[in-house]
Amino acid sequence: MAIFNLKKREIECKVVYYGPGRCGKTTNLEYIYGSYKKQVKGEMVSINTEGDRTLFFDFLPIGLGQIRGCNVRVQLYTVPGQVKYSSTRKLVLRGVDGIIFVADSLEVRREKNMLSLKDLQSNLKEYGKSIFKVPLIMQYNKRDLAEQGIPLMPIEQMERDLNRQLKVPSVAASAVAGDGVGATLKECLKATLQSLQREFQWAQ
Amino acid sequence: MRFNGLTGALMDIKQQLKALLQEAETYRTQGLIAEAHLRYTDAADLIKSIGKLKNRESLLSAISEKIQALDSTKRKVDKGPTTPELSKKAQDLIKNLFAFSENKDKDSAALEGAVALAKFGQFDRAVIELNELLQKDAIRVEAAKNILRCHLASTSPDEAVAQYRQWFSDDRFQSGQLETVRIYLDEILQKRGVEADLPSAIEHVDKPDAEVAIEAEAAAEMEEEFLDITSIGITFDSGPRKGKIVEFDVNFQSGNMLSLIISKQEQELIESLSAGMKLQDVQYFSPIAIFNGAGLVTSKTQIKAGPKQGDFCLDVRIVSSS
Repeated sequence: MAIFNLKKREIECKVVYYGPGRCGKTTNLEYIYGSYKKQVKGEMVSINTEGDRTLFFDFLPIGLGQIRGCNVRVQLYTVPGQVKYSSTRKLVLRGVDGIIFVADSLEVRREKNMLSLKDLQSNLKEYGKSIFKVPLIMQYNKRDLAEQGIPLMPIEQMERDLNRQLKVPSVAASAVAGDGVGATLKECLKATLQSLQREFQWAQ
Repeated sequence: MRFNGLTGALMDIKQQLKALLQEAETYRTQGLIAEAHLRYTDAADLIKSIGKLKNRESLLSAISEKIQALDSTKRKVDKGPTTPELSKKAQDLIKNLFAFSENKDKDSAALEGAVALAKFGQFDRAVIELNELLQKDAIRVEAAKNILRCHLASTSPDEAVAQYRQWFSDDRFQSGQLETVRIYLDEILQKRGVEADLPSAIEHVDKPDAEVAIEAEAAAEMEEEFLDITSIGITFDSGPRKGKIVEFDVNFQSGNMLSLIISKQEQELIESLSAGMKLQDVQYFSPIAIFNGAGLVTSKTQIKAGPKQGDFCLDVRIVSSS
């Protein structure tokens, strides 16, 4: 839930990276933390466990500066992808303003992507939100692995699997190399701020 | 030709093997344990199917080692704690980020912070902070309930019962407050099939005050935990939709009070619903079950501003469910 301070003309919103385990959500945040130093407004906090799996969430605050007379701050979160951390995923999703769904391009992870998207839809519903209405961007990650001969799903197939009904913007990416990471975040922030503008008319 | 054919076939198999091992190794480095395991097993099966392969035994042995290492990682991941105790810094962050307090007083915000810690499994610190909040009269009952929740989640019902008894024997709770806590704990224990003798504070007041007992029960009823209702189906017994079920998504829920948004396009529906109206046949849909019951329309308000301007907000109280 975005926080507005009309007096100070400040807006703070929440963007969550969602997706199946090991799809690269934390890698996205790590890249942003390392590459967008001007925008980063604090430490990146990662709470992980055995095998570098996200246990609770990752957190990274960034600032976008003045947009239409408003100082915009964004809190970036990731959720734990493993199925067993369902209740934590739901907690982290609370009050979300924009979502980046990180899908794993590996052929062997096709079903996990679909299950995770279904999980997102059902968690949003429990907060009274529709997946069709929340600002959402698809990221097809790990595209770089094609060069190593690893079987990946074609983008068209991923679009059919995950985005046929949603029809949201999608970005092909390699979070480990940074490709598409900024573009994904930019798309999501655009959609999120537009949605908040429609709802709260914050911009001058 | 025959020689070339055999060589070609062997080359093919070598390529397949190389591809399988490369895939397996990539999945392993990606942390995809099950997928890596499967590819290594496929590779081992392929090697076993070739009679005359150079280094056959050493290859199989290397793959077996890889599989064993994967199994060991899997065991560690599976056994990994779901809610380990975090550093103070991480706990402070959780309190700060997940308290969701908006314009609330300091004590309520502190309560939310402690509850956030409990939700993330940080029970030890949550209990310490909740115990401090027991000193605040306005949030004492909520703090006590959350302390009991922490005991029930982290240790055992016995701890929760012992905690209640300790409160019973000291004098920081008013009898009505303690009775509310007792009813709350008793209901949870009953649901879990645990029998416990929880002494009632009401019986121990010098002059049993019926009003106090009624108040305590009413408060307990008020604070009864309601399931999250995601949508409701109302069967209309009059108007143009008579006899039909119309489903509405629940926009907001607070206890037994549900808020629905009805589009201004649904003029007929809006007119057939009014404040004070009893809805005799309502289906309540929650993520885990459907309940039939009744509802009471407590208010109907037209939204004056924002993207839903002109739509109506209908507040419905769950009257009973069966």
